[in-house]
Formats: sequence, C-alpha cells, structure tokens
Amino acid sequence: MLTYTLRRLLILIPMLLFLSFLIYLGLELTPGDAVSYMISPERYATMDPAELEAVREALGLDDPFLIRYAKWLGGVLKGDFGYSLQSGVPIRDIVFDRLPATLELSAGAIIISTIFGIFFGTISALKRGSIGDNALTLAGMLGVSVPRFIFGLLAILLFTFHLKWLPVGGRLRPGYEGFMDRLPHLIMPTLVLSATLVAGIMRYSRASMLDAMNRDFMKTARSKGLPEWRVNFVHGLRVSLIPVIVLIAFRLPILLGGTVIIEQVFQWPGIGSEFIGAVRSRNYPIVMMIAFFTTFAVLFVSFLIDLFTALLDPRVKLD
Amino acid sequence: MKDTEKKKTRLEKKFDKILIREDTGLIKNKKGSRAFRKLMSNRLAVAGIIIVSVILLASIFAPLICRYDPLKLDLRNKLQKPSMEHLIGTDQLGRDIFARIVYGGRVSILVGLGSALASAVVGVAIGAYTGYKGGLLDKIMLRLSELVMAFPQIILVLLLVTIMGQGLRNLIIIFTLTGWGGIYRMTRAQMLSLREEEYVQALRAFGLNNFSIAYKHMLPNAVGPIVVNITLSTAMFILYEAALSFLGLGVPLNIATWGNIVNIAQDLRYLQFFWWLWVPGAIVISLFVLGINFIGDGLRDSADPMQQG
Repeated sequence: MLTYTLRRLLILIPMLLFLSFLIYLGLELTPGDAVSYMISPERYATMDPAELEAVREALGLDDPFLIRYAKWLGGVLKGDFGYSLQSGVPIRDIVFDRLPATLELSAGAIIISTIFGIFFGTISALKRGSIGDNALTLAGMLGVSVPRFIFGLLAILLFTFHLKWLPVGGRLRPGYEGFMDRLPHLIMPTLVLSATLVAGIMRYSRASMLDAMNRDFMKTARSKGLPEWRVNFVHGLRVSLIPVIVLIAFRLPILLGGTVIIEQVFQWPGIGSEFIGAVRSRNYPIVMMIAFFTTFAVLFVSFLIDLFTALLDPRVKLD
Repeated sequence: MKDTEKKKTRLEKKFDKILIREDTGLIKNKKGSRAFRKLMSNRLAVAGIIIVSVILLASIFAPLICRYDPLKLDLRNKLQKPSMEHLIGTDQLGRDIFARIVYGGRVSILVGLGSALASAVVGVAIGAYTGYKGGLLDKIMLRLSELVMAFPQIILVLLLVTIMGQGLRNLIIIFTLTGWGGIYRMTRAQMLSLREEEYVQALRAFGLNNFSIAYKHMLPNAVGPIVVNITLSTAMFILYEAALSFLGLGVPLNIATWGNIVNIAQDLRYLQFFWWLWVPGAIVISLFVLGINFIGDGLRDSADPMQQG
C-alpha cells in the first residue's frame, strides 16, 4: 500500500511541476509589468524609479527565466500567490474569501444530485422498458442538452419573478450572517446545479444497476427466498453503487465547470464568479492562480480516488 | 418432436422466419446498410435527424427565409412584441429576432461542427499513430492529454480566451486545443485493440511502413466510434459556445450567435419583461443540441451491436 501511494505521488509531482511551469509561462507572456503583481500596490505606488529598480533587482526580475520560475514557485509553496492587478488585494485572501461560498454550493449540489441521480437511475433500471423508464431517459437527455445557464434563467423567471418565492441571486443581504439567512439564496443555485448533474448520474447508475441485476448473486439471493425489495436494494444496489460513486468523484471537474456558469447567473460570490470577473478585466494573475488551484485540486482528488478504489477493490494490485 | 418445437422462444421463431424469407430470396442481405436501417428504426434518432435538418437548412438558406437583415438597427421599432411583421419580435436595438436566430445558427453550428471536426482531426491523427506505434511518443502524448483533461474544461477555455483574446477563429482554435483529449484517447484505445489483429501482423510482415498501416489499414476499422464521438462533441461545443457567449466572452457580441442572443437575459429587466428576446434563442439551442444527442445515441446503438438499451 505504501509503495503504491508513493508511486502515485511520484507521478503527481512532475505533473504539478509541469502545470506550474505552464502557469508561470502564461504569467510571463501576458502583458503587464511583473512587479505590479508581486509586491503590494501601496508600496508600488509610493516608490520612485530608482527604488523600483532596486526592488526589481531584489525580486530577481532580471534573473534568467528558470531562476525566476524557481523563485516564484518557492513563493507559491510558502503561500505567496501574488496580488490582484486591479484591487491590489493579495490573491490568497481573495481565494480564501471566496472559497467557502463555492464549497457550500458545490457540496450541496453534489449531495442532492447524487441522491436523486442514484434513486432515479435505480428505479429506471428496475422498471426497465416501462413508461416511467422512458420518461426518465428522455428527461435525462433533456438534462444534458439544455445549457446550464438556461436552466438558471428559467428558474429565476419562475421562482423569483412569477412565484416570488426566492431572491434573484447573491449570497447574503447586508446585515445578515447566519446560515438560515443564507438559505433562501442558496436554494435556487444549488437546485439548478443539481438538476444539470442528475442526468449524467442517473444514466450511469441505471446502466450499473442493470449490470448488477444480471449477476449470479442476485439469483442466489432470490433462491434463498429473500423478498424482492431486499434482493434489489440490499444486494443489487450495493454492488451497483461502487462504480457510480467513483464516476461522481471523477466528474468533479465537470462540477467545478458548472459552478462557474451557475455562480455567474446567480451572482453567487464564489471562486467561479471571481474567475469570470478576472477574465473579463484581463486580471491575469488571478486567472492563472485560480486555474492552477482548480487543476491542482482535481489532480489531488483523482489521486485520492485512485487510492480509495485500490483499497476497496482487491483486484487492483498494490505493489 | 413436438416438445422441441414448443421450447423455441419467440426470438428463435423470429429468426426462423427471417431465415426462411432469406432462403426464398424475399429479403436480400443488405450488409452495408444494416447500421443505417437500425438508425432509421430508432424513433428518437429520426426525430433528431428531423430537428437538426430543419434548423440546419434554415440556417443555410437564411437569406431566402428572412425578410430582415440580422444586423440592421431600427431603434424606432425596438422591443416589438411578436407579430406578423416581426415573427418573434425585435430586440432592444430593433433587430429582427427571427433573422438573428436563423443567421446566428450559421455561426453557432460553424463553431460547434468546426471545433468538433478540428479536434477529431488532431485527436485521430495523434491517437492512430501513437496508439499503433507505442513507445516514448505515445507515453508523452498520453501524459499531455491527462494534463489537458485534468483542467476543468471551462477553466482552461477561459484561461486561453484571456491569453488569446475573443473572436470566432480563436474560439475554434481554443476548443480544438482543449477538446482533442477525449477523441485522442478513444482512437488510441481502438488502435491498441486492433494492433493485435492478424491482418496487422500480416501487413507488418509485408514490410508496409507504419503510417500506411496505421492510417490506411487500421483507421477505417475505428471509424464508427469516431463518428459517434464527433457528433456528440459537436453538441458539447455548441453548448460551450452558448455558455461563453452568454458570459460575453465567446464570439464578439456584434456577430449574431445563439449564445449572444441569450446574452441579453443577463439583464434582469429583459429577463423578466421581454421574454421573446431570449426564450426563442434558448429553445433553439436546446432543441438543436437535443437533436444532435438523439442522433449521436442512435448512431452509437447502431454502430455497436453489443450495446442494447
């Protein structure tokens, strides 16, 4: 197990290094003076040219490219991600400020879509060929065909403007703090994001359940005289769940992508809307660093999933 | 004797009937069109073909069916409700929305299909050769594709938009750069399984060069899944174009595309009170993508006899 973990980690490290190199290359190639996002803007504004030159020297901006890259990487490892071009806020603060909102939204969406996706998929498989199955399959096709932001717009039109049940967007009204105050704002983006994710999970868990239903252990369970619900839900469902859970974990990048659009539609103050804002205003350091972090997160999660499935599945050789 | 007759299942009886009809020459063994006939018997796929052809033809023959220029401003008649004069009304600048949707289809479909074809060319060219040849190049390309696919695609697309700037041509290039991974991997997997076939070994023994074996002799056997992949990725790229244009980061706003038409709905006033500005565009995007997905699924089922609903 230890050697397996170490080997996986050793594959991860060169990929991350290469990734960080690409990100740094991007930062170097984009227009703008590198000093402007490496030191805090108050200092930048108050310095005269001679001082600036000294800082440039001290930061090593006249060094060869690879040495500059190594220094930048060292800073990133210590938590110095640079500064926003527009507001001058350290990028680290922006990320930590925005991250909880995104996590809240995506955690909610993944829980809801997993529960409903597996439920509908299993029902669909058990009632294969029925009207309900066909209706769910068609709904699933619709779910992957209608763009996410259109779901969002229709939800705003319906729940905010026609029914007047929910606020149009944002996360908190000024002066409110608790989770219960946030809840009305959270409902719509979470449900819309879930709705767009349910389709894929449903399709996959239907196939997985159909696969499980054809296995021999189901016949064994039936011949033992177990009631049908027990055969299906205890014996069948449990086996069909493993690949579905792995798929959901692997779909995390798609989830993150979905969050970007949904956050923008609902003005949700998360990483996604910050990212869009940075792209619009050509705030290169923020764009690069957010891309770096999300990819880092995805690579790390897929590393964890690999370990996890290796632990669960005795067929995967660990050494 | 009678017992065995009874034990035959419905399916076996059906086969018997077909065999008898084949023997008597009533049906010819139409081998080439088997997949096509199967596709045509799939109701959803036929519905998809109809939806897609209607929208496609309308876009191609746009000048024949539109009375208005999609770019012509007419501020006197702005925000008109749907009427006989303007079938779906006019937008905030007085442009005819029907014309904008029909002409917008040209650009949206061009971006979707163009990017799907371009990424297929890149992915298949790399995947076919490295999958057959193996070795260091194969390893490098595999790692590279892993890296590209580790990015959430929308993040990578937006990152490249920041660096390269907006525009129709840039968008197709960006989609190709970010989208070749999937079809590359699929082609590579196909080649890996084909590599062990005897005819490939025979060709190698004849002394044919690697390019000829990979592209001329092996690739045609992997064409089914590739076509399915192109179809489904066309749908995906149309969705991406729509999302990016909706954010105002895709095709420049002065060109009509389906995403740019829906873009107006970001303004809550238009979202709430002027539904005809964005709902028809949204419906057309969804319908077109739905149609393509129907066709893609139908093609997959008809190309792969192992897969049964």
